Amino acid sequence: MEQKKDLILKVSGVTKRFPGVLALNNVSLEIPKGVVYGIVGENGAGKSTLMKILSGVYEKDAGTIEFDGEIIEHTTPIQALRRGLSIIYQEFNLVNTMTVGENIFLGRFSENGGMKGTHQKARELLDSIGSKIDTYSLVGDLSASEMQMVEITKALSFHSKLIIMDEPSSSLTAEELKKLGDIIVQLRGQGISIIYISHKLDEIFEYCNIVTIMRDGCVIDTKSIEELTRSDMIAKMVGRTIENEYPPRAHFAGEPLLEVRNLNTSKLHNINFTLHKGEILGLVGLVGAGRTEIIRAIYGADKVKSKELIMEGKPVTVNTPRDAKALGMGLVPEDRKQQGLILRFSVGDNITMAALSRIAKRGILNRRKEREIAKRQIENLSIKTPGAATKVLNLSGGNQQKCIVGRWLELDPKILILDEPTRGIDVGAKYEIYVLMNKIVEQGGAIIMISSELPEVLSMSNRVLTICDGRITGEFSPEEVDASVIMDKAIG
Amino acid sequence: MSTKSVLIKTKKILLKQKAVLAILAMIVLMLFFDTQFFTVYNWLNIFRSVTVQGIIAMGVTMTVLCAACDLSVGGTMCLSGVIAVLMINFGVPIPIACLCALLSGALVGAVNGFLVVHQRTEPFIITLGMGTLLKGISQLLTDAHPIACTNMSFMQIANTKILGQIPILILYMLVIFLLFFWILRFTNYGRNCYAIGGNYEVAKYSGINTLAIKWSAFIISGAMAALAGILLSSRMNSASSVYGDNTGMLVNCGVVIGGTSFAGGVGGAAESFIGIFVLQLMTNCMDCLGIGSYVQELLQGIIIVLILGFDCYSRLKKREHA
Repeated sequence: MEQKKDLILKVSGVTKRFPGVLALNNVSLEIPKGVVYGIVGENGAGKSTLMKILSGVYEKDAGTIEFDGEIIEHTTPIQALRRGLSIIYQEFNLVNTMTVGENIFLGRFSENGGMKGTHQKARELLDSIGSKIDTYSLVGDLSASEMQMVEITKALSFHSKLIIMDEPSSSLTAEELKKLGDIIVQLRGQGISIIYISHKLDEIFEYCNIVTIMRDGCVIDTKSIEELTRSDMIAKMVGRTIENEYPPRAHFAGEPLLEVRNLNTSKLHNINFTLHKGEILGLVGLVGAGRTEIIRAIYGADKVKSKELIMEGKPVTVNTPRDAKALGMGLVPEDRKQQGLILRFSVGDNITMAALSRIAKRGILNRRKEREIAKRQIENLSIKTPGAATKVLNLSGGNQQKCIVGRWLELDPKILILDEPTRGIDVGAKYEIYVLMNKIVEQGGAIIMISSELPEVLSMSNRVLTICDGRITGEFSPEEVDASVIMDKAIG
Repeated sequence: MSTKSVLIKTKKILLKQKAVLAILAMIVLMLFFDTQFFTVYNWLNIFRSVTVQGIIAMGVTMTVLCAACDLSVGGTMCLSGVIAVLMINFGVPIPIACLCALLSGALVGAVNGFLVVHQRTEPFIITLGMGTLLKGISQLLTDAHPIACTNMSFMQIANTKILGQIPILILYMLVIFLLFFWILRFTNYGRNCYAIGGNYEVAKYSGINTLAIKWSAFIISGAMAALAGILLSSRMNSASSVYGDNTGMLVNCGVVIGGTSFAGGVGGAAESFIGIFVLQLMTNCMDCLGIGSYVQELLQGIIIVLILGFDCYSRLKKREHA
């Protein structure tokens, strides 16, 4: 506590609310100068939201932020940068068609003495972190780790006092990661603080001095790294037992419905599993582990190297989503607005979309039947809408999601694939979706469910598979196994 | 009560349809001048001049609804006319020659569709290139000279009049318009086109045969352009490689002016027809007023830019309020 005057960043009581979600709830952090500060938490814990507030992308609703002794009321990304706070996102913000030097000083050529001065200064900065990248080479030609060096150099060019690294290792090889580690140590030596956000706990233990664990928009604990163990950390990341948030688990698992054998793509390796009738199968893993890729490959939406599907004992081929639909599969995709709904279309048109060919006689639409279907699903799923003709754009997230579910229910699917079915929808609507899921399996359907919210998958599924780096790393019954064991397998 | 609601509804439609507003404005404007504008003869003339581009626009609408476009229609139209006339002059029976010309258009559409749908090329550029290519072929075939058709009965296809003085071209246009209107409104195929244009991925995941439908839209567009080419050649009783130089751009422009958005999924046959009609009406007005052709082109450009600009502006405003 004596180093209080040496804080680079002090966040107190920051709260941020999105429609239907409390993204940050009274978050407080104190980051001293010259440390590597780790932030860990599940997907959706609020890490990214906090970073976006710090860097000026979002506005906070309440609380104060003190940066380098100065209270920051309002900031924009460029102001934050000029103050000395830079952020390196998982997806690099670089212009691939421009040179390294130009990227580092993008938009600041004149204040650095034109192109010549720009490249000269870029060279000096790159040398200072021991990088040998040519400032005249195109960023598009660089490797992922070199791009990261450029990002770090760009941060240094603003004389940053605090650099936020969001999942910096996700695109690096083991060797490149080591280089990054060296640079982190070097930056810390220069008195620069680093916020290191990662799902990979090994890195957290290797680089960080202090770690904050976040969950559900709250800070759960802040400890120095020596006081923490891996299992502690996982328990705190996961550890919540909110009852009655989920309906009682359904148990109708019967004979095998779909067997997936020898599924390989460029990202997936030897995926094998069986889905049973009346079962909810959960896929657990980090974002980017290959969960979505598995279901997209099964559904015929992505190209595969090899795939064998056996449905009800008979081998089947699924090359397009059309084939999948014909076999009785339905997909509720991850990105509701981009992949699930045609936002400009009406609620009714969105619901009837998949069923049209079934009700059309010789290709001619039947308006009356269309209206019937829309009405039936709106009532059945209690979709809150002024009418079937309302644009789906104007509905809340939960009701939009129900429209997509309704689209498939109309076809009585044997297998319904739900990718993040409750993302961004409020608690009440979530519960309705859960009840709906149970109803589907009750009627003999089967569900494959992906969710980044671990408690949700664990509470809803009869069985979960853990996915890590495109492989299935474990199979568990969530009723019998502790959440932290499953999380451990998913982190790999 | 009901008259009031009808008025409100009409007002809404008018504000939504800038092209209709433009038509009314032009008609009102012409009231102030003493011209031949308000004669039956002139209006028949306007409608007849709309037919060729209107027929092409129906096909182009299909591609634009699927979030693509087809700029090759000018070239397709030109080539189809050349093929028809050359074959007839060679002694091939007229129906067979016309069928071959029609197939040539469908073939062009199939190639366009293959390139856009399967090879994921940018439709704007690839169909523009295709149009140039087709024009090149037409020039080679005709040696860049107009060729007159030697079989006089070919002329009758497009130059007959029905019910006294109505050109038969208008009847063709009407039939084709109603056909497309019906397809887009009342068939599964039409609805799927809207879905594909609205959001390709959503359509694909909903099990719609996106590849085949988008491809077929190009084939239909090519065939319609070819049909227009046959009618134009029949009307002129000749084929020439200069036909259709501006057609590709004008038709696509007209389709968008009418309200069939380049982003896909919005619009329809009626909207496209209105868009084409605006352009033709404008030309006719200026002809009636005796405005020179250079100034005509300038004014036409200004109006197109104004309509589209105003449309985008009001949509932007609407989004800000939402």
